[in-house]
Amino acid sequence: MNYNLLAPEILLTLLALVVIILGLLMKETSKNMLGYVSAAGLLASIVYILGNGMNEAASFFYNSLTVDPLSQVFKLIFLIVSLIVVIASIEYFRDNRNQDEYYALLLLATVGMMVVASANDLVALFVGFELASMSTYVLAGFEKKNPSSLEAALKYFIIGSLSSALMLFGMSLVYGITGSTNIPAIIEFFKSNPMVATSSLDIVAMIFLVAGFGFKMALVPFHMWAPDTYEGSPSVVSSLLAAGSKKMGFVAAFRVLVLALVAIRIDLQMTFAILAIITMTYGNVVAISQRSIKRMLAYSSIAQAGYISLAFVVTTQMSIAGGILLALGHALMKGGAFLAVALVGYMVLSDNKNAKNTDDLGNFAGLGKRAPITAFSLFVFFLALAGIPPSAGFVGKFVLFYSITVAAINQASSWLLIVVIIAILNSALSIYYYARVIKYMYVLPPNGEKIKEPVPYVVAILLAVIGTIGIGLYPEPFIQMAINAAKVLGV
Amino acid sequence: MAALISLMIAIPLIGAIITFLTRTREQARLVALLASGISLVISLIIFSRFDSSISTIQFGESYPWIASLGVSLKFGVDGIGMPLVLLSNIVIPLTVIFAWGETKEANRFYGLILLELVGVLGVFTSLDFFVFYIFWEIVLIPMYFLISIWGGPRKDYAAIKFFIYTHVASLVMLLAIFSLYFNAWTISGTPSFDMFYLLKNYSVIQSPLLKDAIFLALLFGFIVKMPAVPFHTWLPDAHVEAPTAGSVILAALLLKMGGYGLFRVILPLLPYSGSPAKLITLMAIIGVLSILYGTFLALAQRDLKKMVAYSSISHMGYVTLGAAALIPLSVSGAMYQQFSHGLITCVLFMSCGVIQHSAGTRIIGDLGGIAKHMPKLTFLMLAGFLASLGLPGMSGFIAEFLVLVNSYFTLPTFVILALFGIVFTAGYHLWAMQRAVFGTYNEKLGHIHDGANYEMASMGILILLIIFFGLNPNPVLNMMTTNAQQLLKFVALRGVIT
Repeated sequence: MNYNLLAPEILLTLLALVVIILGLLMKETSKNMLGYVSAAGLLASIVYILGNGMNEAASFFYNSLTVDPLSQVFKLIFLIVSLIVVIASIEYFRDNRNQDEYYALLLLATVGMMVVASANDLVALFVGFELASMSTYVLAGFEKKNPSSLEAALKYFIIGSLSSALMLFGMSLVYGITGSTNIPAIIEFFKSNPMVATSSLDIVAMIFLVAGFGFKMALVPFHMWAPDTYEGSPSVVSSLLAAGSKKMGFVAAFRVLVLALVAIRIDLQMTFAILAIITMTYGNVVAISQRSIKRMLAYSSIAQAGYISLAFVVTTQMSIAGGILLALGHALMKGGAFLAVALVGYMVLSDNKNAKNTDDLGNFAGLGKRAPITAFSLFVFFLALAGIPPSAGFVGKFVLFYSITVAAINQASSWLLIVVIIAILNSALSIYYYARVIKYMYVLPPNGEKIKEPVPYVVAILLAVIGTIGIGLYPEPFIQMAINAAKVLGV
Repeated sequence: MAALISLMIAIPLIGAIITFLTRTREQARLVALLASGISLVISLIIFSRFDSSISTIQFGESYPWIASLGVSLKFGVDGIGMPLVLLSNIVIPLTVIFAWGETKEANRFYGLILLELVGVLGVFTSLDFFVFYIFWEIVLIPMYFLISIWGGPRKDYAAIKFFIYTHVASLVMLLAIFSLYFNAWTISGTPSFDMFYLLKNYSVIQSPLLKDAIFLALLFGFIVKMPAVPFHTWLPDAHVEAPTAGSVILAALLLKMGGYGLFRVILPLLPYSGSPAKLITLMAIIGVLSILYGTFLALAQRDLKKMVAYSSISHMGYVTLGAAALIPLSVSGAMYQQFSHGLITCVLFMSCGVIQHSAGTRIIGDLGGIAKHMPKLTFLMLAGFLASLGLPGMSGFIAEFLVLVNSYFTLPTFVILALFGIVFTAGYHLWAMQRAVFGTYNEKLGHIHDGANYEMASMGILILLIIFFGLNPNPVLNMMTTNAQQLLKFVALRGVIT
């Protein structure tokens, strides 16, 4: 077996341990070094994956982990998000004396997400989920003196445990029915035993799995934790949660649900369509009334989850490619936007040490003059989130909506067209709350002096901007990459 | 020199980025003038090499972009786009010169003006529907900021109304574009956004209802931009609150995008639509309604700038009417009206700007006798007003004459109705001049001074161009007529009109 393909996971695990040990030995003032070390490790992993090509295919450990284009795409998403989060954290946690633990946990969370991306076995999937979740529970509560951070962590922990339990129960039912935890073996079993596949017990198992993944993806009605957690966590951690760990749910759903749906042939189109529409509409409508930008971003990422889950409605190659593209775009846009909010928090705190609610809309007034790079980046992220070309958000949405329209024409079903129209109207609606922030940033007068934007934040944010616009300007290779990834599922 | 058009679009874009980064207003305006000047030179090169006798696309360029979705960067000009490209490149440098004295955040101001140039040039040259739509939307954003940062007291309301109104119209248009796209996709199985390809495949659509729906959605997208009554209400607000440079660009270039859409998209579809006769009548009604309603509202305005704004609505009505008449010379007259109105309306809005700046008010009743203190402005303004009311020898006369005379063959009733508009058009122009500019001086105004030299130079150049194109329309009219004839060949083939 060629373990070279797992080098990134191995490297990052070792690095996490090294970071913890170094942290014990280092002086508090020099712990900032560890951020650079972690960033170097993540960057090396990204380079390694890209250098090896995206089209490798291999499986490991009795077929419980697999490396294929789908896993590579999602690993890249997780690594890129972690990289920009680590870079920004160098500034955010500059004077924190527990930095070593922060970076170690962040690396472990990344490894967990990468395991989920390549899991080919329900047990491996669950282990990956738990590794990533346990680490992020701690990260969400990392500002231990801030009550809202603690509230965020606790809520996230309780709901996360519940969803893990539901997922595990679903998995155990599947194991009971099929006698295997290996995903391809399960699919084979369903294909050869169609009677079992449509039994009521199997449907119950599927419902538990949908609920378990739904919590991770923050689909309505499993979304309640997301706004509170994203609002209360340190902004850099919110960035990791919204941009990175949420995508875990999607990759798991792509692997398990899509395959299972294809095998079982239960007609769940309508169910997923309703779930997606409710999710996007709810997210967009509630986002309008938020004054806390982090909360607004949280609801907007619920809405984005709704768009991405449209991929499950028709489950064609193109629609899944669209879902993957939008997941990639969303990771960059949302990750970058949360980091920009972190920078605004830094700015507000440098005005007034005891400021509360640093992400209040009022603090964004005149940001175009106070922090021009941040304001411009947020402008780009917001337009991209609203799906305005040329941006990653537009490419993802377009491929997704295109695929559903094509499916609607092929199936001659008019209700699928209505789904697309509702999704487009939702995009239009979302412009309203993004435009409001843009107006605050550029039209209203500033309420403070111009600040010097810290270099680590700027580097991280600009990386996200370059990614967002780059995909928008030159989408062809990314579309091909997503299509290759979708081909793995054989739909 | 194959890539002239993309160069012409790229230079203002690069110029805009540099302008945003400049530190002083002297640098900013110099960069803006240089970038738009180079763009003008390139457009003049294209114009001089343009062959007016053929109706096909010239200076075509094509680059692959998103192959999996059938999007490519296709640019090119023909007799429909070329005059408007030239117009954009004339108007923007003159606007920069006119706004030479801008002090508030000059780098952003001039940068946004250059971005407008990028947007309109993209709209007038894109031959890929997808890219066309992107440019169509790009135009909105700088204008939103021009109004909401440099605007008047009610700028917030005006900016958001402008944005929402035109954005909704664009979305409706986008739906129609996608319908065309998927229609072509079902026929050939390969995705493509090529404009001519999509328009050609419109005739294959089976259901007349769907055909009409697509047609009306596109028409809606364009006539809101023009704007035509009854979708005009965003325009007076936007104009009144916008800074002078913003108003000039809005009236001279942005409105022309709507008219361009009529010739580029609507007329080729018209003969194949579900019920052409009804749609022609609809367009004619919209045209005449705009002419008359715009005129009467202009007559009633107290604010000089609002009067000019309504006069734009009325003049753009001739474009719709001429297009609906489907006679080669009426269509080319309508195209010429776009070009000519683009020049004339600049002078009118610039006059309003100078008066506002100097006298502190634009309310006609509060002005009076300013000719004594502002002789240069009065001369140029009078020339502009006479051009606007259609004085022979100036470009507006040729355009409106062509439209009215030729439209009479197919739409006699509508033309007779529109003729009433002409009388009142002359009326409100002269009446406003008489009350605001001539007569006894209103002492309450205090001491007022004439416009700055750069403002007068900019307006003077426009007046010279208006007279030049009024005496010698052929350089642009010939290419318009070539394309109008080409467009109408298909109409005649379908036997829509006799």
